[in-house]
Order: sequence, then C-alpha cells, then structure tokens
Amino acid sequence: MTVTEMAVSTATRGPRFVPGTSEEQQLFARHQQGDRLAREELVRRFMPLARSLARRYDRSSEPFEDLLQVASLGLLKALDRFDPEMGHPFASFAVPTILGEMRRHFRDAGWSVHVPRGSQERALKVRDAQERLANERGRAPTVQELAQYLELGQDDVIDALQAIQAYESLSLDAPRPGATDEATSYGDAMGEEDARYELVELDATVSAVLGRIPQRERQILRMRFVEDLTQTEIAARVGISQMQVSRLLRRSLDQLRALTDTKS
Amino acid sequence: MAAAPNVSLTLSNQPENVLLVRETLSGLAETVGVDGVELNDIRTAVTEACNNVVLHAYEGGEGPLQVELYVAPASVEVVVRDRGTGIRPHIRSEEENALGIGLSIIQALAPRVEFKDVEGGGTEVRMEFATPGTESLAPLDEAGFQAPAVADGALATTTGLALAPSELAGRVLPRVMCVLAARARFTTDRISDAEMLADALVSRGFQSSAQQHMTLSVQVGTREVELRLGPLGGGNAGKLIANTGAGIGPVVEKLTDERRIASEGAFEMLELTMRDER
Repeated sequence: MTVTEMAVSTATRGPRFVPGTSEEQQLFARHQQGDRLAREELVRRFMPLARSLARRYDRSSEPFEDLLQVASLGLLKALDRFDPEMGHPFASFAVPTILGEMRRHFRDAGWSVHVPRGSQERALKVRDAQERLANERGRAPTVQELAQYLELGQDDVIDALQAIQAYESLSLDAPRPGATDEATSYGDAMGEEDARYELVELDATVSAVLGRIPQRERQILRMRFVEDLTQTEIAARVGISQMQVSRLLRRSLDQLRALTDTKS
Repeated sequence: MAAAPNVSLTLSNQPENVLLVRETLSGLAETVGVDGVELNDIRTAVTEACNNVVLHAYEGGEGPLQVELYVAPASVEVVVRDRGTGIRPHIRSEEENALGIGLSIIQALAPRVEFKDVEGGGTEVRMEFATPGTESLAPLDEAGFQAPAVADGALATTTGLALAPSELAGRVLPRVMCVLAARARFTTDRISDAEMLADALVSRGFQSSAQQHMTLSVQVGTREVELRLGPLGGGNAGKLIANTGAGIGPVVEKLTDERRIASEGAFEMLELTMRDER
C-alpha cells in the first residue's frame, strides 16, 4: 500500500472513535467486572484502530500479519489497563500502548542492528524483476513497470532500490546463476593499458590514480563512460545485476574523486 | 533553535511528496547512525504530520509543504509547515477520528511536540526525537539562511532543496533524485544515472556554492528532469563542468543531455537537463 492509499483509507474509511458514548462506557464497566462478552465486543470495536496502526508500520517490511498480531496484543493490554474513571477517551490511551508494543517487537526482533529479512527479500525480488523485464523488453523497466509487475506500491519499489544500494551483503554481490566471469576475460582481451588510456577522458588527473581501482571496476567504468553502454547492457556482459553495476560505478567514481582530491 | 536547518525542503502538498520526505529521513538516519527502531518512529510520526498537510491544509487544493530537519547531538528535530487556512482546525479537531489518531501517534512517538500558528496563516508542527548515540554534524550558521524558493505556480512540478553539510547531502540528494527520476518515468538505468549525477554534484557543489548550503531545485517533466544548482560563486558553474583539473565535467557531460550556465547578479546557476530517450 502506498502512503497515499494509507492516508486516504484512514481518512475516509477509518472507524470512528468518538469518546465515551454511553454504550461504550457500559461495555467498559461490564468488562471490568470480568464480562468476557463485553471484552470481545470491545476488541471487535477497536480492532480497526489496531489495524490502522499496524498499517502505518506496514512499510517497515515486516509481514503485515505479524504486525497486526503485535498491534492486537497491544490492544488487549490497553483494554485491560484502561481506567474509564479517568475521563479520557479510550483511543488516546490505546494508541501509545499499541505503539509501545510494536516498538518492543521491533527491538526484540533485532531491528536496530539488522536489515530486516522482509526488506532484503523484497529487494531481491525487485532486482530479479528488473533483470527479467529488461530481458523481455530490451531496455530497463521504469519504477511504474516494476511496481505493476510485482504488485507492489511504487514506494515499495523505490525503497527496495535504495536498500539494494545500501547492502554490502554477499548474497547480492554473488555472480548471477549461469554467468561467466566475462568482465575478467573481456579485460584480458582488450588490454589493461588501453582501458587506462581511454578512461583518462573521464578526468584529466585520473590516470595517476586509476591503477588503484580494481580491474573489474575499471572495465565497468570504461563500458559506461567510454563505450556508452547502459547499465543494463553492462550487467548482461559482466553477469551481475544492473543494481550492482550502479553500486560499483558509484563507488568507483567516489574513490576516483577521493584519490584525485588527495593528489591535487 | 538558533541554527539553520541541515535539510530544508520546499514541496507541494501532493501525496507523492510524503515518500520524498521519508527517503530524506532515511538518508539523514544513515548519515548520523539513527537506529532502525528510532528511524521507524521518526518516519511514522513525520508521515502523519505530512499527511495532515496533504489532506487537510488546503481544503482539497494545492499549496506548499515545507519540511526542515535539524540534527543536534543525540536528537533530531523535524518541522512540518503549511501555509493553509489560518488557525489549525485541521490539526486540533480530535473528534475527527483519523486526525485524532494521527495526533495521538505523533504525541506517542515524539518526546516533544509543539503546534504553532504561522504568521500570515498556516500551521507548524515541531517534533523532537531522541536519537542517543548518533554522530553530530558541524553546526550551521543561522545568518543568511533562506529556505529554497519555488514560485507558487511551479510548485506542482518543482522541488526546492537546501542541504548541509556535504556528508549529509551525499546521503540525501541521491535518494531524492531517485524519487524524482522515478516520478519522471525514467528507467532504472537512468535513475541510477541521476543518482550518480547527484553524487558528482555533492562532491564539488559545496566548494562552488555561494552559501554554506548546497541549494538546488529540481523540475520533473515527462521523461525529463531539470536541475538548477545555485546560487554558485561567479565563475564556479563553469569550473564545475570544465573538462580539466579534478572537476566533474566529463561525468556530468556523459550523464546529462543539456548544460547551461545562467547569471543571476553576481552569482551563477548551473542548469542541467537529463532525459530518458530509451
């Protein structure tokens, strides 16, 4: 779900939590006396609130069902701890309680230190779809095309594209199945000196530092900036994903700039 | 707070700009090391504040959404501002449930929240988040800071940004360019090019800028993105794209379709156009 849909759905279809209708007050009173039916009715009434809070964290890449479960647990805790005598509407008490439960869940799941698994899986899906669509159409897809193909929101696709840039994990760096190490053989065939000479075009002071960039990266720079290949074409030649070509290019250019900075 | 913001965004209140704000927050979190749980809180609360502007500030019409981010030692402050219809009925009415929840969420997630009327009409939400253990950034001078200006008529297609310092800009600008290039219906190839262009501009943009911030506006068309960088010091726009020295000229030339230098008084603007011909 995109941010837009989320906003619209809560605005138009959201439940009404009007504080302190007398019927609700009665339900809370019965619930406090241990009436299980009253508790069930309250859970039913306020479940949309838990759902709407879980939905706000949906884009955190945890499966929605898990989030909803945690939010529901928070709702139950809020129902049991709520004191109607205080005169506050239940929702204003329940929201922080439910959010607190969800934060605890993220902490326990090691969220602060790890890239969440769901987000990694989504990134891999986007990477694979990019490759498949590029093969089918002979050009790289747009975010809109990826979103449609994967039945994801455009926001999710953009999140995934960014996540891929951030990953340094081996799973993303591993050669694609069936790929040969063409970059190396390609480099051998054309000769190291030529690559170095032609890349000087990239930057007048670059020749002195180019030798400090790994050979595969030099080849990829050359394909993009001397041969004018697209990243998707380079990806096909080298046998890695376009996203990885992008990452390698950005990293190499960054290194070159840092190296020429220290030279000049 | 007597400092200029690290990030200042001038946006329209279109719903897709909420993503741009969220990506900016992620870039900031990456720069100073905000942990995943805290980032989630910040993104959720700020999304609520922005959605409020998207849905309610202009009664169904369009208007500016202004977002400012301030990084302090162990805290991040986010300001969301609109120039909407006078006093803040759209944020106060707790009985209107969706907003009531939004407000409760902001209050539950941000240790300090302040709602203010903006002089001349509009509402400001100021949220401070605790981010223990984060790195601090070099302090910025408040003197002379101006939020990036975008003419009201251009707001629907144009995003204004001011960013500082460079390590933050390096994490934020490529993400913003990714969002905007995607909006222009670029292919993933060209989106990556747009990110590479952002890297290159950040690497030299601060030396060329006439201010402590790197200021730019980005206009999105159909398969076309036009970027205006500046004000730059006189002569700096040319140096930036020159083919000599340690400049970024050759990279910029490969990645863009058009390059122009415009004078604005003593300053210069560098105008770059990227297209996706595919």
